Amino acid sequence: MGYDWDFSYVFKNQGILWEGFVGTIQIATASLFLGLVVGLFLASLRMSKYRLLSIPATCLIEFLRMTPLMVQIFWVFFALPILIDVRLDPFAAGLIAFSMQSGSFFAEVFRGGIQSIDRSQWEGAKSLGMTNLKMMRRIILPQAVRRMIPPLMERSFELIKGTTQMAAISYSDLLYNAMVLSSQLYRPVEIMTFTALFYLCFLTLISFGMRTIETRIEKARE
Amino acid sequence: MIEVKKLYKSFGSLDVLHGIDLVVEKGETVCLLGSSGSGKSTFLRCLNFMEHPTAGSIAFDGKLLGRETGLHLDATTYKYDERELSRHRASVGMVFQQFNLFPHMTVLQNVMEGPLTVKGHARRDCKTIARHQLERVGLIDKSEVYPSRLSGGQQQRVAIARSLAMEPDVMLFDEVTSSLDPELVGEVLDTMQELSSEGMTMMVVTHELGFAYHVADRVLFLHDGVIAEQGAPEDVLKNPKTDPVKAFLSGFNNFHF
Amino acid sequence: MIEYEWKFREVLEYWPAFLNGMALTAQLSLILLIAAILGGVIVGSARYSKNRFFNWPATFFIEAFRNTPVFVQIIWFFFAFPILIGVQMEGFYAALLGIGLNMIAYSAEIFRAGIQSIERGQWEAGRAIGMNYFQSMRRVVLPQAIRRMIPAFANRVIELVKSTSIASTIAVGELLYQGHQLANTIYRPMETYTIVAVLFFLMIYPLALLTYFLEKKLNVDMRSN
Repeated sequence: MGYDWDFSYVFKNQGILWEGFVGTIQIATASLFLGLVVGLFLASLRMSKYRLLSIPATCLIEFLRMTPLMVQIFWVFFALPILIDVRLDPFAAGLIAFSMQSGSFFAEVFRGGIQSIDRSQWEGAKSLGMTNLKMMRRIILPQAVRRMIPPLMERSFELIKGTTQMAAISYSDLLYNAMVLSSQLYRPVEIMTFTALFYLCFLTLISFGMRTIETRIEKARE
Repeated sequence: MIEVKKLYKSFGSLDVLHGIDLVVEKGETVCLLGSSGSGKSTFLRCLNFMEHPTAGSIAFDGKLLGRETGLHLDATTYKYDERELSRHRASVGMVFQQFNLFPHMTVLQNVMEGPLTVKGHARRDCKTIARHQLERVGLIDKSEVYPSRLSGGQQQRVAIARSLAMEPDVMLFDEVTSSLDPELVGEVLDTMQELSSEGMTMMVVTHELGFAYHVADRVLFLHDGVIAEQGAPEDVLKNPKTDPVKAFLSGFNNFHF
Repeated sequence: MIEYEWKFREVLEYWPAFLNGMALTAQLSLILLIAAILGGVIVGSARYSKNRFFNWPATFFIEAFRNTPVFVQIIWFFFAFPILIGVQMEGFYAALLGIGLNMIAYSAEIFRAGIQSIERGQWEAGRAIGMNYFQSMRRVVLPQAIRRMIPAFANRVIELVKSTSIASTIAVGELLYQGHQLANTIYRPMETYTIVAVLFFLMIYPLALLTYFLEKKLNVDMRSN
């Protein structure tokens, strides 16, 4: 007890922390976008009529959702390069791991959203003589997308929090840089507390923004 | 049996009841009529303290509830003790518009619940009481079924049995047929009529004028939080004296007694 | 691409390491599960309470822990917390604290939402037959609320087991850590990490099946209502 707090260590070295924060933003945005693409791809495979496509996609999605992110990051970083004989830097390894895992979660959101649309909507569209593609684009998707947005945002929030796990393979995100700094300065209390509070503010801001979007959508529906 | 003096109730700035006086005798069946927003449900809910009155006294069997604390307009205000209210509610049955049966319990368990948990009777005795009440409402064969498997009318009769299992002195009915399909209304009203003829003291908020006309000993008409008119059903329903009652009854133009 | 020579059998000869890792993963998960249930009920009740004295701290706790990454919490409890209280702390306990508090925050919110989802009429029906607050809660509201909480909670338990792997970074010898150590000793990362991933999957997937089952069962129950 009675610890002498001295946050000047943090402020004198804030440059390296900001660099780390930029790293966090970079990996988060990159894998969010790639994850959405992967998600769309996996969802369409899983919903395919052909079992040759849907069964492997289902297995992959389930496997990626039911194994820890950290294990996937390690696997991509340490194991995959041996298999494909290419060196991966931490960013590339993280990007692959994140976009594959978030992609599986996103895929389930997409599928759930589309399947949640009442069958009468499909039948209604069919009775108008619409083609499958038109039906999807004009009737189903506009309704499904609204329902997908809240879970998509929730998953994206988890993804942003998950980027900290990149520190384990020495990718210089905010957490990694903070760890390096605190071991150099022997000031883990201030630096780690500051880092935790910084994440708290940053993520609170994001979740606040997401909630705003959600209420807007709810209102627009009425 | 029930004695209400100068009952006031407001929700925030919204005044719902403006000083209601009422005496209900033992064995009497009183129907409360009025358009929506007239305060009739609120009045009923005050009688078993689902809502606490803002001011005014409520006495049951000559026993005044609560402890005097001050004045509000011309009425006394009271502070209530939760334990006293629980005891009071145990002796006053209430049936709701939405049935509010416990979905995780069978019909029999629903009816047993009061005697078992509140009165602390032995399980076997509770079962006997519950069976007896279910027989009374004609649903003994549904004992082991969950409420979700019953029709609305049956659910409401179970709710009545659940209240009766507490052996109440008074029964309060809050628009109990309003959310039922038309063809199911009759069975619930029949059950209520039977209760009334057995001498149960009843307060009934309803839109069923036929029931009020044939079963009630007295009809109260509430308008803007006060009693606009009261009296024997044939007087109030056939020869209304005040404008709000006339206007209300003209809304039931296809109604024949 | 070169032809890679798989040697799973050689790596599997080190099965005691994997088994030890799995045992610790299971142990961590079990302790955390109990903590999540107990802590979730306590904090969730406080969050549900109308009394500000309970409500505000609980809300703050829940928001703070849900809005920081669990990894940051673990690292903080490992590197900063021991200095603050002047006590040495093993990684095992730092991981328990970090993941545990995070889990409690999530379960508290599930608990509160479950209770709040019960219609007001149920409370009123309980009160109308003379039940007091605690009787209504215990006999009427909780039994229904718990059923509604179970799928969300089961999902959280899956996240819980997954997050124990983060403890490997502070040298807690759970499954991923054992795999990491082994990969570094025998230079067989491909096989080792694949085995680790499959073992995690085998531990977690039964939970997922249970969740699917419960969700389906609950849906059926709700439809029949």
